[in-house]
Amino acid sequence: MPVITVKKDEERIVPLLWTGKETELEYRVKLAEPGAKVTFLGLLLGREAQALSLNVEVEHAAPYTTSEVVIKSALSDTAKASITGLVKVDPGAKGTQAWLAAHLLLLSEKAKGVAVPSLEILENEVKAGHATTVGRISEQELFYLMSRGLGEAAARALIVHGFLQEMVDRLPKAIAVRASRVLQEKYEQV
Amino acid sequence: MSGGASVKTGYPLGFHMPESGGFRTPRGLSRSVVEAISEHKQEPQWMRQFRLQALMMFEQKMMPTWGADLSGIDFDAMHYYISPSERKFHTWDEVPADIKDTYDKIGIPQAERQFLAGVGAQYDSEVVYHNLKKKWEDQGVIFCDTDTALQKYPDLFREYFGTVIPVSDNKFAALNSAVWSGGSFVYVPKGVHVDIPLQAYFRINAANMGQFERTLIIADEGSYVHYVEGCTAPIYTTDSLHAAVVEIVVKRGARVRYTTIQNWSNNVYNLVTKRMLVEEDGFGEWIDGNLGSKVTMKYPSVILNGRGARGEVLSLAFAGKGQHQDAGGKAIHLAPHTTSTITSKSVSMGGGRSSYRGMVKIINGAKGAKSFVRCDALLLDELSRSDTYPVNIVSEQDVTLGHEASVSKVGEEQLFYLMSRGLDEAAATSLIVNGFIEPIVKELPLEYAVELNRLISLSMEGSVG
Repeated sequence: MPVITVKKDEERIVPLLWTGKETELEYRVKLAEPGAKVTFLGLLLGREAQALSLNVEVEHAAPYTTSEVVIKSALSDTAKASITGLVKVDPGAKGTQAWLAAHLLLLSEKAKGVAVPSLEILENEVKAGHATTVGRISEQELFYLMSRGLGEAAARALIVHGFLQEMVDRLPKAIAVRASRVLQEKYEQV
Repeated sequence: MSGGASVKTGYPLGFHMPESGGFRTPRGLSRSVVEAISEHKQEPQWMRQFRLQALMMFEQKMMPTWGADLSGIDFDAMHYYISPSERKFHTWDEVPADIKDTYDKIGIPQAERQFLAGVGAQYDSEVVYHNLKKKWEDQGVIFCDTDTALQKYPDLFREYFGTVIPVSDNKFAALNSAVWSGGSFVYVPKGVHVDIPLQAYFRINAANMGQFERTLIIADEGSYVHYVEGCTAPIYTTDSLHAAVVEIVVKRGARVRYTTIQNWSNNVYNLVTKRMLVEEDGFGEWIDGNLGSKVTMKYPSVILNGRGARGEVLSLAFAGKGQHQDAGGKAIHLAPHTTSTITSKSVSMGGGRSSYRGMVKIINGAKGAKSFVRCDALLLDELSRSDTYPVNIVSEQDVTLGHEASVSKVGEEQLFYLMSRGLDEAAATSLIVNGFIEPIVKELPLEYAVELNRLISLSMEGSVG
């Protein structure tokens, strides 16, 4: 398992676009020197019987390091995503800022999501948090769009795009272009 | 008294002392020890079988590979049953000074101190208890110790015993099932509201102060009961393992609230399995405070088994020097429109470690299920540690699940503000800590809340600056 090591005052973006090819992915990031910063952006688009087990581990090994891990996933059919995240803050890594978030949107009856965002913190001068949400398209949002004249399928597609677009906007350009194309092809109608 | 030789000869009653003289099993655990416990208590055949089966499970099960370090437990060095008359009491002089000091500072009455420190056999609350007991009996409420319930209400007992937490659940539930003794049995009939909290404290005596307590609560349809266990004051014991099991059945439309505050002395491994099965429109609540012990592993669970069932877990953990509090909660949604909330607050100081470990599971078909988990941790110094291990498993689309957690230290600005108002650092810190845990403390019975606040102020003394 290769470790991505981030050096002094370096800023790294680690993008991930999953469209069903891999079944298992692992990322390990070490913020090795002061001022190191990592942003992990995961966009998981699963359909049919695709399944992914994703494991992201970030270690804050030096003071004043920053990590942000954001994973958004839309799952249709019987797709399944299992997301395990772990942010470790070593003793002495003062001034650490860590944020770990996983948001799953279930688009079908049989889709399944597992989220385990863990923290291990051995230093008190830190700001660390995590959040998880799992749910489906909200009835109110759907109702609102349909009351404005959109058909149900178009309204759903718009909501899914809204949910995922925020991630696409943050991805590096090359991968963002690919992500937009996938979004357009796969989620034109939901 | 050791009786080791007689075990090897296979004569199970070799160490059975005459009834009047008291009874204890030799150190270690074996088939003959379990049989002797059952024999001593004159239990029915099915319970003996249950215990023996549990012993087999205990031997087969591995120690948990996750969670706290349990390598210090020596199963062979323990006595698994000591009858009340055999129980040794230490003298007041033997009680460690820091524990006596704590009693002083949080204002525990002398009679209670003796009991809590294991000096006296019985806390004298008989008079109060008798009046209440009559009232409960008139309502048809059963409240007695678990051994008595097995003898007096065999059918009711057998119907529910071991149904919420099966023997095979985990190694320590299996151990408890094999050697259990004491604990409380509560039955609340249909529609009955018990308006005064039932406290184990009222009828506690040496017989109930077991290491392997077994509690079973059944709230029949539409009933309500609040059960309170433990206390904020430190309990001094020389037993190093406390492995209890608490099973609660909440029938249709019933509500049960179970409050625990535990403050074992810090040589104790506190490994407790607690679970509620909640039926249609029922409401089950755990309020669980863990202050003492060396290691705690405890995750009160709600299984939401009927439509509209609700579950709530409030967990409070306070880890000081040398302590690991591995606590949290679980909510398993098995039916539509079930809701759960888990709120956890933990404080680590002086090199202590507190871990939140929790699970929310929503099965396919539990439509409209809602769950919200919030866990906050406060780290008071740079020696301490805080972990969060939340597991969320969702197999149903129509759900709302949210989880939030934060880890922080006592803010410099908050401290500065309070100190500029004339408080010293210890007082300011304890005020902030008390504010942090307030959402849980406000749910506690008043006397517990007061003692807890004092206890926290006490732990802050000399810890800052």
